Amino acid sequence: MPTVRSWPERRARLLAAVADVRHLLWFRRATVRRPRAAALALAGLGAATVAAATLPDLVPAPAARGDLDRLLAPALAAVVLAAVSGAVASGGGRELLARDPAAVYPISPLTDHLGALLLAPLSAAWLIQAWALLGLVAAAAGVGGAPVALAWLVAVTALAQAVGWAAEYLRRRRVLAWLALPLAGLGVAPAPLVAAAIGHGRPAQQALAVAGLLVATVLLVAVGGALAVLTAGRVPRDEARQETATHAARPLPRSDLALLRRTDRASVWRSVPLRRGTVLLALAPGAVALAGGLAWSSLVLLPGLVASGCVLLFGVNLWCLDGRGMLWRESLPVAPRTVLLARALVLTEVLLGAGTATLALGALRAGRPTTVEALAVVLALLVVVAQSVSAALRWSLAHPYAVDLRSARATPAPPLAMVGYSLRLAVATTLSGLLLAGFAGVGRADLVALCAVVLLAVAAVRIGRAARRWADPVRRASVVTVVAA
Amino acid sequence: MTGREPQPTADAADPADPADPADAAVEVAGLCVRFGAVDAVAGVDLRVEAGQALALLGRNGAGKSTTMRVLAGVVPPSAGRALVAGHDVHAEPLAAKRAVGYCPDVGGLVPRATPWEHLQLSARLRRLDGWEPRARALLEQFDLGDVAHRVTAGFSHGMGRRLSVVLAALHEPRVLLLDEPFDGVDPVGVEATFTVIEDARARGAGVLVSTHLRDLAVEVCSEVAVLRAGVRVATVSADHMAGDEGARAYRALLA
Repeated sequence: MPTVRSWPERRARLLAAVADVRHLLWFRRATVRRPRAAALALAGLGAATVAAATLPDLVPAPAARGDLDRLLAPALAAVVLAAVSGAVASGGGRELLARDPAAVYPISPLTDHLGALLLAPLSAAWLIQAWALLGLVAAAAGVGGAPVALAWLVAVTALAQAVGWAAEYLRRRRVLAWLALPLAGLGVAPAPLVAAAIGHGRPAQQALAVAGLLVATVLLVAVGGALAVLTAGRVPRDEARQETATHAARPLPRSDLALLRRTDRASVWRSVPLRRGTVLLALAPGAVALAGGLAWSSLVLLPGLVASGCVLLFGVNLWCLDGRGMLWRESLPVAPRTVLLARALVLTEVLLGAGTATLALGALRAGRPTTVEALAVVLALLVVVAQSVSAALRWSLAHPYAVDLRSARATPAPPLAMVGYSLRLAVATTLSGLLLAGFAGVGRADLVALCAVVLLAVAAVRIGRAARRWADPVRRASVVTVVAA
Repeated sequence: MTGREPQPTADAADPADPADPADAAVEVAGLCVRFGAVDAVAGVDLRVEAGQALALLGRNGAGKSTTMRVLAGVVPPSAGRALVAGHDVHAEPLAAKRAVGYCPDVGGLVPRATPWEHLQLSARLRRLDGWEPRARALLEQFDLGDVAHRVTAGFSHGMGRRLSVVLAALHEPRVLLLDEPFDGVDPVGVEATFTVIEDARARGAGVLVSTHLRDLAVEVCSEVAVLRAGVRVATVSADHMAGDEGARAYRALLA
């Protein structure tokens, strides 16, 4: 049987994939619950991108540009490492249509690949990196460097997607997926050249850099497509293993709450995307902090980063852990507040655990903290966990989604909603961290404690309000009906 | 807020249950459920006596599952009254839930929990003692004994349906609500479900079975209620809905 396809065949397959992506995008657009809000959000993201690429050019004094130049190459390389790590963990990136509903449609792996590429920028991690890079380029080289930076972002996204497929292929062949990580070197290697083109290049050099990056993008998209086809031919091993796993019976715990917690905890740790994402978020920021030798004043900001990332794994749609089983669970004779408390405690455990692991790694090279620094770090962890739990409870009640977290690529909410959640949470937790770090920096333990108490109190009030809303059977029924749909 | 709250035990044999045993197992009067502008149920009246099995038939969207969800305490009624084992589902939700065993129409299983963990949760929250032998017997009866400790995410549709019936029946409830229990279920599962329904009737429980499979419904139920557009249009003896004649009568009621 011939396996090598002719050029007209390849072209026809590509055109069919592009047409299918168009149809799927139309379908997603048509099923957006709040189209006006979605349009506003997209416009806001566009405006923020333009602002990031232009405003810093107006702010710094020209004398500072030399210092900023030196940051360009590391920043370009950091974008590569972050994008590739995320792609390796997510097992192929976002899906235009979730796995189960997509199963009945003839969606090719190439369509899946192109869809994942298009959705890749709709994540807070990608956007924040992009804005930071565009801002740095504007400050260091003026707005003239923006086209090269944009071309870099596009090429890096294509590279990350290709490496993501390579990792998933390895995973499905029972090989450690992280062995694909060195492929990120393909992106890191040209970073100094691109940085030079941005920082010191004449327009002709910059145009050449843009052209080179666009050619690389085309090649990487093609390679990614081929890897997607190869990967699709193999069974998703991690998911299959989880779905056929057996778990020995354990004795009944001493209280209803303990059993509910145990059930919810199992729902988290037996889900491939949740387990993989939690481990990544617990270790990756800590490893970066360890490698960079961050000081305690910077470590204060890490719990916020980790908590806002972890809460996006399932916290923004907490009830989706039960899937369609929520109908049955809601028929059980237990007080609603006990169910809510169990779910909130499990989320708290995950956030506290990941944040503590991050801080423990970061602390290895941070030296001995002063009392105020130690206080600020501990309180920052508690504050951001409380803020994240409060946000999770409120958002899960207000905007539930029917999501099956079986697939490693699944997310608890649609991409645009996820962007909104992550940006709001990142802003809140980062500002809190900055506030505590600021007071710790001037040695004011009293202000650190006072600030933390106020922030914790606000979060507690919001959690209490969410619990009262959950107690309303009408509101609860609307959540159950949506989640179990 | 504590996990262990002072709640009366309330399975079928509980003498502390204040419900009057003379009450109907299910009593529904003028039940309405609105979802936004849609009337899912628009004034349903039903009565299921203790020891009786009533089938709910009707087209898709007739309000069968919504009625079941109200009786299970999952969806609150917008208007009207719904009593299960003498407990108002709106005013006494926990007491009503203790009296009910519910097999939902879709899924009904926590995807990453095992059947045994589902049974433990139900037994714990219903304060059952010595429930394990019955749970094992039910799992064997429904041919699920071999997968008792496997997560349900990998279950077939039929396996999921069978486990949902087991979960509904575990605590020998006074009201058994089975929503599409035969959907995609093999003959062994159908037989086992028949046995569960017959056992429930024999011990004096009321059974409500919602299904599209008329032949099975008339085989196991004594009466049939037909819903159309959220309203009950007829309640007839199961004999009248049996065979070809019954099929014609049923189609006439749906038209």
